[in-house]
Amino acid sequence: MSLLQAQDVCVSLSGRPVLQTVSVAAHGGEFIAVIGPNGAGKSTLLTVLAGLLAPGRGTVHLDGRALSGYAPRELARQRAYLPQNPRCDWPLPVERVVALGLTPGLPAFGGFPPADQARIDTALQACDLYSRRQQSVTTLSGGELARTMLARALVGDPAILIVDEPIAGLDPRHALDAMRRLARLAHEEQRLVIAAVHDLTLALRYATRVWALSDGCLLADGPPATTLTAELLRELFDVAACVSGTGTSAYVDYA
Amino acid sequence: MIYRLWSVFCAGLLLVPQLSAAATPQRVMSLNLCADQLLLALLPEQRIVSLSWLSQTEGDPYWLTTAQRLPANHGTAEEVLAMQPDLVIAGAYTTSATRRLLARAGTPLLVLQPAQDWAGIRAVTRQVAAAVGERARGEQLLAQMDQTLLQLQQQSSPTPLRVIAWSGSGTDVPGRDTLFDAILTAAGAVNVGAAVAGRADFDLERLLQLRPEVLLRGAAYAATPSMRGEAVNHRVLRKLYAGAQLTYPEAVYGCGVPRAAQMALQLRQQLLAVKTRSSLP
Amino acid sequence: MRRSWRRPVLFAVAGLLLLVVMSLLVGRVALPANTLMTLWRSDADPLAVLIITELRLPRTVLALLVGAALGLSGAVLQGLTRNPLAEPGLLGVSSGAALGAVIAIHTGLALIWPLATPLLGLAGAFGAALLTLTLGRGEGVLVLILAGSAVSGVMFAGTALALNLAPNPYAAYEISMWLMGSLADRSWDHVWLVAPFLLAGLLVLAGTGRALDALSLGEQQATSLGINLRSLRLQVLLGTALAVGAATAVAGAIGFIGLLAPHWVRPWVGHEPRRVLWPATVAGAALLLAADIGTRLLPFAQELKLGVLTVLVGTPFFVSLLLRLRRSAP
Repeated sequence: MSLLQAQDVCVSLSGRPVLQTVSVAAHGGEFIAVIGPNGAGKSTLLTVLAGLLAPGRGTVHLDGRALSGYAPRELARQRAYLPQNPRCDWPLPVERVVALGLTPGLPAFGGFPPADQARIDTALQACDLYSRRQQSVTTLSGGELARTMLARALVGDPAILIVDEPIAGLDPRHALDAMRRLARLAHEEQRLVIAAVHDLTLALRYATRVWALSDGCLLADGPPATTLTAELLRELFDVAACVSGTGTSAYVDYA
Repeated sequence: MIYRLWSVFCAGLLLVPQLSAAATPQRVMSLNLCADQLLLALLPEQRIVSLSWLSQTEGDPYWLTTAQRLPANHGTAEEVLAMQPDLVIAGAYTTSATRRLLARAGTPLLVLQPAQDWAGIRAVTRQVAAAVGERARGEQLLAQMDQTLLQLQQQSSPTPLRVIAWSGSGTDVPGRDTLFDAILTAAGAVNVGAAVAGRADFDLERLLQLRPEVLLRGAAYAATPSMRGEAVNHRVLRKLYAGAQLTYPEAVYGCGVPRAAQMALQLRQQLLAVKTRSSLP
Repeated sequence: MRRSWRRPVLFAVAGLLLLVVMSLLVGRVALPANTLMTLWRSDADPLAVLIITELRLPRTVLALLVGAALGLSGAVLQGLTRNPLAEPGLLGVSSGAALGAVIAIHTGLALIWPLATPLLGLAGAFGAALLTLTLGRGEGVLVLILAGSAVSGVMFAGTALALNLAPNPYAAYEISMWLMGSLADRSWDHVWLVAPFLLAGLLVLAGTGRALDALSLGEQQATSLGINLRSLRLQVLLGTALAVGAATAVAGAIGFIGLLAPHWVRPWVGHEPRRVLWPATVAGAALLLAADIGTRLLPFAQELKLGVLTVLVGTPFFVSLLLRLRRSAP
């Protein structure tokens, strides 16, 4: 089981402090929802944890090794990262986009080994895209594109999945769908899933842990049921909110 | 023939007002390379006010040191007005603006038509000699020229060399009715370029098809590198014409002056050298 | 749905062979049609042998190499910038290379050291590409094209200035050759001089395929897949400089081939940058050879410059691309 640890991470962008002494740890099997207002530093935290941004101070360790000690391809095989609004700049078929997730394992020249085709098919089926595999990504709907990108992330069989706003712009059905998938990846396949989300109800229902960020500081770190209190929500978002219900029918309501 | 008479007539028309007015012009200025060469041959240095800048680089090597001692001009009206000569000699391509300015300033201007053959050279030399008051000297130069031409005629070979002047893709090939042709013929060679002169589609392939025996290349092109001139350095030409490539001063070959006969003599000697080197019949 | 591979490949190979044969038979001097058959016989016409082996064959080889270089670098640049309008000419690379080559030739450096021409062309191409890619960094296509225009303009002005200052009185006439390109009167000397650089450039560029594919997902995702973007950019810069620098040094600045070739092959091979690379290379070679044959075939007295033909073909294509974009864009 993988263990991802960040220790006293500080990041400054253009002189402005974005993350201030953030320390978190997570292991495989957890589904972590990162919440916070816009500009709190969620995306920055995710990129630091993914190893795409070196923190000004502090370290990030994966399985005991510093991220900077990993070769890019080695790291790429262990963790998959999806930014906000991921898109493909060329009108490629869905299958080809998903196949791109296998890049870290491929040589510079030569085509795909035949074994890879099976992995691509598996990923396509897992995300219900098999019937659309030859369709061009530019003609897909928002939900289908999100699933395609998820399949792209999963095809390489990563131990860690870091996703920035996976449900942004998705209709309720697809949003629920995406959250269920992520939860399943964590619970059933024992992967570590870290996702930044804005939908508090869905975070409440599906995440195993919540990290609350505000102005670059970690305000709370714990299971959603106990962490998402009205006081925290007021402090984070400056709104009056209350949490009702339990378990799978829990929801966050605004006054 | 008609063209020659007409050009002499026109030049004469331009001169009439000046000749009737003044005596021999003491201070003469030239705006044109060919006029430079004529003045250098006809006049002592003190009577030449200024020569065109080209004579200091492109001119006949014979006059080079003298030309470099004299002040150079770039053919502008300002320079003429500053130097205040008694007579200005210019080429046929002097702009009308310059001509008008000089006319308004009252400076006598003689415009030379380019000579295309030996008869033309005689006409132009006599014209300029008369204008600067050196008729005797002019006749002397022409006598020397005729003597050289006679000499060349007597030495002509029964099998003339086939020669072409080509300086690269898209450059002009001198044809019939040019001074180059007259000089080449006097030197005892055949100008095969006459068949293709003026044809813009003349290129390396056609040159190979034509197969002249000697290649002449413009000295200005040879002296400095260019993409156009590169064609003459083509592998094929280097191989086929090793020892049979010559450079010639194309600027001077375009000037109708008595020394053109000397050019022909020099060319003849160069061609003979090529002949012996390659042991052609 | 991508169309099947086999027929287009056969068609392309056959087409290329046909073009090569045509190129050997077309020229100012008309040769009989069976010349190629009789070329190696002892009684072959020496003029025909000379013209074909020393004039037309090196010209054909150069056209194929230069076209390949332009096609491949166009495909790679489109992949790197994720923009279907990118090409070496648009990014100022060709004019930079022309500036370098003009300096080499007209200062007389090339006479002392023949390698100076392709090397300075390389340096000019590298400098221009670096400048454009640095100035044009960012998400917008507009910024990139503007940067390319600016760099192109400066390089062109530099070329004109260099030609003006050159000691050769006829140097000013050369500019049309540099800006429009020409393969007239090239010899095996030229081939040996630039082939090593062209082939090196092709090799360097060919290795970028996988990384360009990953780049389709954007810079962040590509980095997360293990692609080193800095070294990719350097690889593209170096490869383009080698390929386009050498190509321009020998043939002048030729536009549109790098733009056209990738677009031409995409209906058959799809949009994946890696799959476009080799077909674009072959397409570029074929396009340029066809243009070169065109300059010799067209019944104008003076030989047309290559660039004129590529522009004549390229402009209607550009228009059709614009129309297609307008239809699909919101």
